[in-house]
Parts: sequence; structure tokens; C-alpha cells
Amino acid sequence: MANRTDPSAKSIHGTNPQNLVEKIVRSKVYQHTYWKEQCFGLTAETLVDKAMELDHLGGTYGGTRKPTPFICLVLKMLQIQPEKEIVVEFIKNEDHKYVRVLGAFYLRLTGTVMDVYQYLEPLYNDYRKIRRKQADGKFSLTRVDEFMDELLTTDYSCDIALPRVQKRWVLEQAGTLEPRKSALEDDFEEDEEKEEDEPADISEVDYYHKRSPTRDKDRDRRHDNYNHHRDRRDYDRGRGRDRDRDRDRDRDRDRERDHHHLKDSDYSRDRDRDRDRDRDRDRDRDRRDRDRGRDRRERDERKRHRGSMSPPRRRGDVERDEPKKKKEKKEKKNDGTDHPDPEIAEANRLRASLGLKPLKL
Amino acid sequence: MIEVVLNDRLGKKVRVKCNGDDTIGDLKKLVAAQTGTRAEKIRIQKWYNIYKDHITLSDYEIHDGMGLELYYN
Repeated sequence: MANRTDPSAKSIHGTNPQNLVEKIVRSKVYQHTYWKEQCFGLTAETLVDKAMELDHLGGTYGGTRKPTPFICLVLKMLQIQPEKEIVVEFIKNEDHKYVRVLGAFYLRLTGTVMDVYQYLEPLYNDYRKIRRKQADGKFSLTRVDEFMDELLTTDYSCDIALPRVQKRWVLEQAGTLEPRKSALEDDFEEDEEKEEDEPADISEVDYYHKRSPTRDKDRDRRHDNYNHHRDRRDYDRGRGRDRDRDRDRDRDRDRERDHHHLKDSDYSRDRDRDRDRDRDRDRDRDRRDRDRGRDRRERDERKRHRGSMSPPRRRGDVERDEPKKKKEKKEKKNDGTDHPDPEIAEANRLRASLGLKPLKL
Repeated sequence: MIEVVLNDRLGKKVRVKCNGDDTIGDLKKLVAAQTGTRAEKIRIQKWYNIYKDHITLSDYEIHDGMGLELYYN
């Protein structure tokens, strides 16, 4: 009786509005004491009072998946279906951030695509902190605009599957929505002007000319990498994209300095030695985590080495390290996905995509 | 490598290959990839013991061929 949707309520997305929350989560809410005690006979006005008492967001948590009051109120709103004006009032409310978030979440579930973008995007400017209860019961910190981003871009939040909204660019192409004007645009323009005016280092100026100045993301990343530039060690430690970019910069730098030919060779030798030393260190760390088999092989090698009378030569180390490094790279690639057994190869591929280590056979 | 069988007694029976040192959370991700449900919605139990996400299979003494119960949250 108390759990039935208001008979005069419209159907949303073609279904009973309460069905937007899936069966298991809904049953958990119905059985919860907060729903039974506090949410009985709520109307739109009294719901605001309850919403003002909220102090965290979240879906279900814990081993038995208890629902948070936030989810209970969302389900209550779906049950009573307040008018759109009331929901917009919730969103416009500046004082209570959780009321705002509750209204935004409800609108995301029930509103049309245009409504969603129209009312949720202004909330990108609200950067207040909100508390979020995670699935394991612990709290985490997030901000209103981060949560809005999650609502607008993902299709699952707070244990509720959000209805599909088209991507922004689709609507912009169709002409129904205008391109997004960020509130920070003015700040970016000021920054751009400042950068062009400042007398920069020589190295800075070179990159500036080599890369297109309109790539904001690159500029920010470049700024962050400047301090790393000075320290050659960090250079080599950079992984993935950073390493490629640093290597490109290296190559650029070398090309520029070609006229100092003699100095160049010294430069590269020092760098090689540093690089190998760094690689040794990194590899040692990796080695500890690897299979026992390989450790045993290493131990045998070392034993053999210890048996020999000759002292360890530095250049010899450098030469031995290069082939070892190459072998490591090959082994890393072969790790798992190139197994002859197709079942195991596929399992390893899946594990790699999930970020897990390959199967130990 | 061990192979674990998960059965929800409603028609879904899944065999998953995994390592002994994988956690239950990892196992849930593998099961989610095979069944199509979300990893957070899956609950793995043995009788009334709900298995926690951060503990490894070997610590729960889950061996090769063992059957686990699959429930949903």
C-alpha cells in the first residue's frame, strides 16, 4: 500500500517510475527503517525538510547492501512525482547542497535530454565538497561538479542505472543545443595572454613554436613536466605518454645541438649510463615481484658470476644489461596473451583488460 | 591457476579460471565479464558466509573445481 506509486503519476521512460530503480535495490529500500519511519506519507513540502537533513550521497553499502537515506528519498520522489517546477527549485537552491544534488539526480532520472543538459550544466560551477558513501561503507570526498560530470557522462551512479542521454556533440550537431560555454573561459583567455607576454626560457620558446599553441591540454601537461625536465633521472622514469614525449623532446634537443658535436657524444654517454643505472634499479624492483622460476634463474646466474675470478667490469655490465632489457620487453609482451592454448590466451586477454595479472599456470 | 564454478541456481552456471592469489573482487570482475551483470551487483557466498572483496581465494581456501554460490545484491 505504502509502496505503490501514486495512481495519478505519469509513466516515465515508458514504465512505472519506481521501476527506474531496479528490483533488488528497491526491495532493500522498502525493507529499510528509514523508508518505513521517515518516508511514510511524505509530500513534496515535507520531502524538502527531509532533504535538508541529508549529509551524504551514495547508493547501497555494506555486505547486506543497506540503502542510504539519499536513495530512499530518490525513490520517494519517484513515487510521489513532484512537479517539474518543484524539482527545478530544488536545483536552484543555493543553501543546501544535498537538496541540490537530490534534485539534480531526480531530474537526471526523469527529465528529457534537453532538461538534463539545461539544468545540470550550470551546476558545473558549484564546487562545494560533498560526502559520498562508497560500497564498502567508507566515506569519500567529492565535489558537486564532479558528481554532475559523473551524472552527465556515465550511465550508472549510486546503484541506479541512469537512463541514456545523447552525447552533447550529437545535440550540438542537430542544432538543439548550443556549444558549451564554460564559466572558466574568461580565465583561460587571460592565461593565454599572460603566457605570450612572459619572456620565456630558450627551451620553453622552442616547444612553443613546435607545438600548436591552442592545445590546452598539452600546455598544462608541459607546465607540469617542466620541473621534471631538469632532472634527467625522472625523464627516464616517465612511463607511457610521458616517456614518448620526453623522448621526442630529447631528439629535438639533440637535433638543435648538432653543431656541438663533441659535446654531444659525451652527453649521450652520460645519459646512457644514467639510463642503464635507472633501468637496473627499476628492473630490480620488478624482479622481486616476478615468478619464482625466473628468480631461480637469476640466482643461478649470479652464482655463476660469483664463481668467476674476474672483477665485474662496468662496461660489461652495460652490455649485458641491454640484451637483458630487450628480453624483458619481449617477455612483458608475451606475458599471457600469446599462450598457445587459445582458452588461456583469451582468459589472459580478459584479465589484461581488467587490469589483472595473467594466469599462473 | 584454478578453475572455480559459480552457480546461481536460476540458470546461470559459470566456470572461471583464476589465480589462487586473486581477490574476491577480481573474481567478481571476471564473473561480471562472463555473465554481463555488473561486478558491484554480484555477491559470492558459501552457505551463509558472504565472501569479502579484499580477501584472496587462497586465504578463503578456495581450491580448483570448487563451487560457489552466486547471488545478486
